[in-house]
Amino acid sequence: MAYLTGIAVTAFGKHPGRGPVDLMEEAALAALADAALPREAIDGLISGYATTYPHLMMGTVMAERLAIRPRHAHQAQVGGATGAAAIILARHLIAAGACRHVLVVGGENRLTGQSRDDAVKTLAGVGHPIHEVPLGASIPSYYALVAARYLHETGASEADLAELAVLMRRHAADHPGAQLKKPLTVDEVLASKPIATPLKFLDCCPISDGAAAVVVSAEPAGAAVIRLAGWGEAHTHQHVSEMPDDVGVGAKLAAAQAFETAGRKTADMRLLGLYDSFTPTLAIFLEAFGFAQPGRAGIAARDGRFSRDGALPLNLHGGLMSFGHPGVAGFLAHVVEVVRQMRGEAGRRQVKDAPLAYCHADGGVFSSHAGLVLERTA
Amino acid sequence: MSGPLLQSCRACGHVWQFRRACCPACATAGPEAVTAGGGGTVWSVTTVLRAPLPELDVPGGYGIALVTLDEGPRIMCRSEAGLAIGDRVQVAVEDDGMPRAVRAGSELEDACGG
Repeated sequence: MAYLTGIAVTAFGKHPGRGPVDLMEEAALAALADAALPREAIDGLISGYATTYPHLMMGTVMAERLAIRPRHAHQAQVGGATGAAAIILARHLIAAGACRHVLVVGGENRLTGQSRDDAVKTLAGVGHPIHEVPLGASIPSYYALVAARYLHETGASEADLAELAVLMRRHAADHPGAQLKKPLTVDEVLASKPIATPLKFLDCCPISDGAAAVVVSAEPAGAAVIRLAGWGEAHTHQHVSEMPDDVGVGAKLAAAQAFETAGRKTADMRLLGLYDSFTPTLAIFLEAFGFAQPGRAGIAARDGRFSRDGALPLNLHGGLMSFGHPGVAGFLAHVVEVVRQMRGEAGRRQVKDAPLAYCHADGGVFSSHAGLVLERTA
Repeated sequence: MSGPLLQSCRACGHVWQFRRACCPACATAGPEAVTAGGGGTVWSVTTVLRAPLPELDVPGGYGIALVTLDEGPRIMCRSEAGLAIGDRVQVAVEDDGMPRAVRAGSELEDACGG
C-alpha cells in the first residue's frame, strides 16, 4: 500500500534570482510540513531534472540541500511524465520494502533562468537528431502534426480545442498561485498568433518558474487518507515519426493498467488531473480514456462537463495551460490540486465530493505515459 | 534526386526508417539498406510559423509533413506549401540529406526549381 501523505506547490510564474534547487527546496520543505514528517523520516528521494541546471545527480543535490541521507536517491527523467512516473516508482520502492517515505520533487526556473529561445531549442531536442530536428521541428510542431491528424480523424474544429484553453483559464482564476488568470474567450484563442498550424499561441501552455513536491508513504498520515490505488505506464515510442497510428494508444494502455490495478472503472472517476501541454493533448486524453466521445472533448468542456460543478471536474488549478508549466513540477501541480480537492482543502475551488480521481501525464510526443488512480479511503 | 534511405528485414520484409540492428517487427538481425521509391501519402502536415531558433524563421512559415511511404514507414519531411492530409506525394532527398515531399506529379518541375 502507498499513500500520498504530503503535497506542496509554489506559485508558478516568475521567480527571478531563484534556481531549481531553491525552488525544489521550498516545495520539498512545504510537503514535509504538510505530511507532518521530520526530514529524517525521508528514506527515499526522487527528483526531476532541470533544463536550466542539467546536473548528473539532481537527486543527491536535493538530498544534500535538504540535509537528509536517504537510502535511495536519484533523478528521474521521462519528460512531462516524470512526476507521475516518479510517484509510481515511489510506490514500487515502498512495495519492495526498500523505503517508507519517498519524497518526489520537481522544479526549475525555466522561464527566468534562460532565454525563451534556449527553452524552445532544448525542448525541440526530444525529436530525432538526424531525421526530425534538422527539419526545424519544435515541440509545438510535433504536437501540431498530431493535432492536425486528430482534427482530420475526428472532425473536431480548432474552436472546439480552444474551449479547453478557455476552461483552464477559468479554473486558474480561482487559484492565487496561477501564472495566467486574465479571462479568455474562444475568439481570442483563435485569433492568437499562429505557432505551428493548427496550433495558435493560446493553444500552448506557457513556460514557467515553479516547483512542486509529493510525499509517498507506506502508511497514511493526516485526517484524509489518500491511497495510490492504481498505477500504469506505457512507453510506445519516442519520436512522432514512429508514433502508432492510434494517437491515443499509449494513453489507453497506461490507463487500462491503472484502472485494473485499482480494481476500478473509468466511470468510477469523479475528478481528473490530466496533462495539458497543448489543447489537443487534453482532447486526445479525454477521448482516449472515454471521458468524452471521439472529437467531442471541447464541446463537452463548453457544456460544463469538466467544470467545478460538472460531472468530471478537470484541472481545477488551471492546468499547465494557465497555472503554468515549469517542467517536472507541471504535472506534480495537477496531483497536488487533486489531493487538495480529495481532502476538502481547496477553498473556493472545492468540488462537492471526489473520492476517486484519475491523473495522467505524457512525456515526449505522447511517447511515455503514466497514470494514477487516487482513492480517498478515510 | 533519390528516395529516402530505409532499412528492410531480410526475413519478414518489414521496412522502417530509423537505423536499427534488428527488425522492430520480428527481431531478425542484419537488415539491408534499401532506397524508397519516394511515393507516399500525407499522414499529417503543419506550417511552422515560430521556429525553434529565430534564424530558422521563414516569412509565411515552412512546412513539415509526416508522410506514410508506399513501403510502409512514416517519415518526417519538408513539405511544399498547401499539402493536405491524404494527398499523394513524391518524396526525394535534397542536397543536405533531408527529404522533401511535393505533390505527386509536380516533382520534375520542383526538382529544377529547387
